[in-house]
Amino acid sequence: MPSVLLVGTPNSGKTALFNRLTGLNQRVANYPGITVDLSVGRLTGLPTHDLVDFPGTYSLRPISEEERVAVSHFAGSLADPEVEHVFCVVDATRLEKSLFFCLQVIKACQRLGRPVTVLANMGDILKRHGLRIDANGLATALGVPVRVVSARTGEGLDQVMAELPRSDVEAVPSVPDSADDILAQDDASADAALYAEAHRLAERFGAPSDLLLQAQSRLDRFFLGSLTGGLAFSAIMLVLFQSIFTWSAPAMDAVEAGVAGLGGWVLPFLGEGILRDFVADAVFSGIGAFLVFVPQIFVLTFVIGLLEDSGYLARAALICHKPLRFFGLSGKSFIPMLSGVACAIPAIYAARSIESPRARLLTYLAIPLMPCSARLPVYTLLIAIFIPRETLLGGLIGWQGLTLFAIYSFGMMSGLLIAGLVNRFTAIEEQTPFMMELPAYRLPALIPIARKSVQRAKHFVTKAGVVILSVTMVVWVLGYFPNQGADLGASWLGTMGQWIEPLFTPLGLDWRYGVAIVSSFLAREVFVGTLGTIMGIEGAEDNILPLVEQIQASALPIGSGLALLVFFAIALQCVSTVAILARESRSWSLAGRMVLTYLALAWVSAWVTFQLAGGA
Amino acid sequence: MSTDPDMLSLWDLPLHASGVLVGFAPELADRYRGRLQEYGFHLGERISCQHQPGFGAPRVYRVSNATYSLDRELAALVLVKTAEVPSGA
Repeated sequence: MPSVLLVGTPNSGKTALFNRLTGLNQRVANYPGITVDLSVGRLTGLPTHDLVDFPGTYSLRPISEEERVAVSHFAGSLADPEVEHVFCVVDATRLEKSLFFCLQVIKACQRLGRPVTVLANMGDILKRHGLRIDANGLATALGVPVRVVSARTGEGLDQVMAELPRSDVEAVPSVPDSADDILAQDDASADAALYAEAHRLAERFGAPSDLLLQAQSRLDRFFLGSLTGGLAFSAIMLVLFQSIFTWSAPAMDAVEAGVAGLGGWVLPFLGEGILRDFVADAVFSGIGAFLVFVPQIFVLTFVIGLLEDSGYLARAALICHKPLRFFGLSGKSFIPMLSGVACAIPAIYAARSIESPRARLLTYLAIPLMPCSARLPVYTLLIAIFIPRETLLGGLIGWQGLTLFAIYSFGMMSGLLIAGLVNRFTAIEEQTPFMMELPAYRLPALIPIARKSVQRAKHFVTKAGVVILSVTMVVWVLGYFPNQGADLGASWLGTMGQWIEPLFTPLGLDWRYGVAIVSSFLAREVFVGTLGTIMGIEGAEDNILPLVEQIQASALPIGSGLALLVFFAIALQCVSTVAILARESRSWSLAGRMVLTYLALAWVSAWVTFQLAGGA
Repeated sequence: MSTDPDMLSLWDLPLHASGVLVGFAPELADRYRGRLQEYGFHLGERISCQHQPGFGAPRVYRVSNATYSLDRELAALVLVKTAEVPSGA
């Protein structure tokens, strides 16, 4: 299919433009380097064409893995006869920083006869401050059309789309031997002339930006202040974790009540017998086990989205650089690690933006220990069992939220310690210096963030939910037969559980927990549903509360509860994460060693925790 | 390294002061020099120190119409001259 390429410098609003032009909801953030893979979408204004979004790069001479991906694909795409046009996005409020790359792109496209349109994005911000750029003058100087647009408001994009079909596509004059040759024809000395040209063009046609920078500087004085910066960072992180637990509680209660109400309505129609048992204990238990966590995943993604879009996360990376450096990591590791709090998979992709191979490897080691949302259901269950639902400060902060904060901190500290130990006891190579553009602060765009959060929640329901429901049903069947649920210990599940029980006895856990842990290797969240099914809770449609009460009544020692928390904080069970780790690190050996090491470490740490807590 | 009293590394540039970029230390690898140039760190460019977060965190510098954060290792290899530029700019 004919396609249009979308390229630009990091944080020029390129992905927001992609979403605006295609109607898709790609991950957009106010942080340099958020696009780490190619995205393709159909142009809504020209459905016969695809739009291909490349990761942002400052130059066609890459220094990070993320940039290498972008440049390599861009070079390959330029030689593709299906490519009809190139959109080069520049930040209209900071023209100079974009123009060097823009000049490189125009040169490369002209060599291959590809038409280019320069999209000067963020025109709405210029307008709000009463500023403008001389788009016509710049177009004349560059020799290509320049259009002032706004991804946020859509301003100017109709004109861009109206002009697109009329673009003259010339034949490719010559295709170089390899894609890289397209860009390798210039040497570094030619770059100096481009720098000078970019500077001259920005001075002549760009907008004065003092006004914008003054506003940014005032906020930075607070967020980067020696005292205020640290306090603000701590407060923001506390709010993030509180939001996951305390703020999403009403929605979780509503989901529980909804599932319970549905069960109360459906079950009486089924009478007594195997069908009722199956629907009550397998279907409703399975549905409840994952649906109840959807509000938390939505809230978590939404709050992280707000931080990203506001521009704060880049400041957080700066603040964290020095402490992270102590563990061999970089300030740029902060964003992947924070993303890991939602899900390890995008976090591993995001680590591409770390230039230093060593810091990137150490970040890979730390990410699986970040407390991802899949661990949340397990933590929620265990906290509900052992921690009272009491609040402080008029309900603003709860003990359960504080406990969650402590568990999350434990996971993060474990990740840092492992990275630090590996850094200390392996050969030292050159450290890559920290350099990062600080994006402008802006009010987060709530609707795209809400859409993204809904997508994440939907993804959880459709991917993890299906797995959880399926496993719950299988576990129910194994536990129900061959004696129709009369004796769980004599069921197929009970027999299997007794085989593996010796592994978990030292942690004070019986075979039921062993089976639930083994089932969690498909997805950590499955632990809760499996346990609910094994416990054979009548009315499991009310999911978590009866399960909590059942476990509380069984007098599970607190040492075993803590051991479970520690085990889940450290174990690397997620099959998808392992596969992505292997792909990104290009090493199945690394991924395999990580799985075995983290499992062994998780078991030993859980055992030590159990012993320290007084054992059984 | 020059003995010119007006020449100092970017890391030593006081808060809110500005200087003109006069060179890079030879220890600076080409690829990082190239990236700095892409950011706008060209010879003769005026650079000002905007923020100095505490505890050794990377500092924030303004170049042209953008701000960048550089850590000590990198900023110490960028040389600026302050003589012709009034401090506090």
